[in-house]
Amino acid sequence: MNPLTLTLRAQPETWLDLSPLTPDGLAGKSATAIGRVRLRTGRRSVPLRELFDVAGGDPEHIRIRGGMSRLAGIGSRMTRGTIEVQGHGGQRLGQGMRGGNVIVRGHAGDQIAAGMTGGTIHIYGDAGDFIGAGLPGATRGMSGGVVAIHGNAGARVADGMRRGLVVVSGNAGELAGSQMQAGTLVILGSAGRHPGYGMRRGTIILGGPAELLPTFRSCGQLEMDFLRLLFRQAASADARLELLRRLPATVHRYAGDSAAGGTGEVLVLSRASRR
Amino acid sequence: MRINGVTIDDTFAEAFPMRATRLVITARNAKWARHAAQALTGFASSVIACGCEAGIERELAPAETPDGRPGVAVLVFAMSKKQLAEQVLKRVGQSVMTTATSACYAGLRADDSIPLGKSLRYFGDGHQISKLVNGIRYWRIPVMHGEFVCEETTGVIKGIGGGNFIVIARTTAQALAACEKAIAAMRGIAGAVTTFPGGVVGSGSKVGSRYKFMIASTNEAFCPTLKGQVRSELPPEAGGVLEIVIDGLDQQSIRACMRAGIRAACRPGAKAGILRVTAGNYGGKLGPHHFHLWDILR
Repeated sequence: MNPLTLTLRAQPETWLDLSPLTPDGLAGKSATAIGRVRLRTGRRSVPLRELFDVAGGDPEHIRIRGGMSRLAGIGSRMTRGTIEVQGHGGQRLGQGMRGGNVIVRGHAGDQIAAGMTGGTIHIYGDAGDFIGAGLPGATRGMSGGVVAIHGNAGARVADGMRRGLVVVSGNAGELAGSQMQAGTLVILGSAGRHPGYGMRRGTIILGGPAELLPTFRSCGQLEMDFLRLLFRQAASADARLELLRRLPATVHRYAGDSAAGGTGEVLVLSRASRR
Repeated sequence: MRINGVTIDDTFAEAFPMRATRLVITARNAKWARHAAQALTGFASSVIACGCEAGIERELAPAETPDGRPGVAVLVFAMSKKQLAEQVLKRVGQSVMTTATSACYAGLRADDSIPLGKSLRYFGDGHQISKLVNGIRYWRIPVMHGEFVCEETTGVIKGIGGGNFIVIARTTAQALAACEKAIAAMRGIAGAVTTFPGGVVGSGSKVGSRYKFMIASTNEAFCPTLKGQVRSELPPEAGGVLEIVIDGLDQQSIRACMRAGIRAACRPGAKAGILRVTAGNYGGKLGPHHFHLWDILR
């Protein structure tokens, strides 16, 4: 069956909340019923058909065309199926997501995967600040699932992360992995100042040297067999993470943040041995 | 039934349910994976006194292992899940973790499981790190060689212990040559292992003894030196008898091993002194799994 294709026709004047448009939310609805789904924009709520053209039918696979930065909450709390966005993925994409796939063919805004507990998100572009962090007011960030940014990421990616995997193929802003509690963050490009600020546990893997806080202590150059397992298993589970398979297992290990317990680690991949 | 002039008895091997797991051991190279696997499966010939029965199933290419390093798959069998858990923990802890560059993973997944890294992690004395990768929890235990990486648990299934056949020959040398051929033919059959040294049992036992403190004792009916003295199962010309015991994850793997093994053992034929192939059973009343030789070879 063809995917359910929603093409944004009109420019919303302000934020447009697309959180109702998930495979869970639209299951069993006819095209007409989908056209009547009400979406919040600013202080109003409008029927979907006023803003989108609806075509095709299978709501297990939703395609959103004409994505833009004013969209918000795509894939919120979804548990299954696939949402594909052509254009900008908007803000708070995949917030509280529990399963399924979200693919953005374009950039995305802030707070992607906030409070995510499962599923996968792939952004084929750049993304904003606080990827995989907590929902507003939460003390911890994402606790499961995989987020891959195939471009650059903003500041404080994986802030307070509890579990899961975040991969940034490009560069990341400052304070990456701040206050991480566990989980794995991989940044293959360069990372901004002070990655791992306040991290308690967890692993940050960096493609190159970064300006670390003095509360990170060098454990020297090491070959870590665990990385072979991690890279291989992550790549086997998702072919789009194949780039991990080619990474070396030789790293410089820094333990920290000793200001917050110090059992986390920043692993800087060795350039010399990178294949 | 006769194969190359060797009589195949119309009898069956009687086997018992056991609890089984497979472990995958990897290391920097095949040599060190083998060291770990040999240590783990050492002194594990029979549950009578070893606590478990274990053997090397096969060597694994780097592409087949979770971490992409060369590995070895081993099978471990015990009479209960509790016994299996105790033995696996001791053996992985003392034999695998102590092997330089080693790592240990679950080799099968099942609804039921026993701890692996879940218990061994305490060796890390607080410095151990847990990592969840694709829904599977691994433990990284800091050790002298770097980190001992170990999966949290390994799956437990109902396996079968005690599939067997007995080769009767004119001399022990002839029986041994036939058994070596059988073991070579059975190597590589997935899901089954022969846990005795070299795969061959030189002193097969019967249940019980005239001594109250012995739970098993020599099977005098198959001892060539006693054939004129006791109620023997052996023909007068028999001078050497050896047994091959097979533990498997399922009936198919044991049947495949018995078929390949008996055919290979009979290949030298009657002219090479191989007289008869039979199997050990207890009248069919003790074990629920019966492997009829004629049925397997047909």
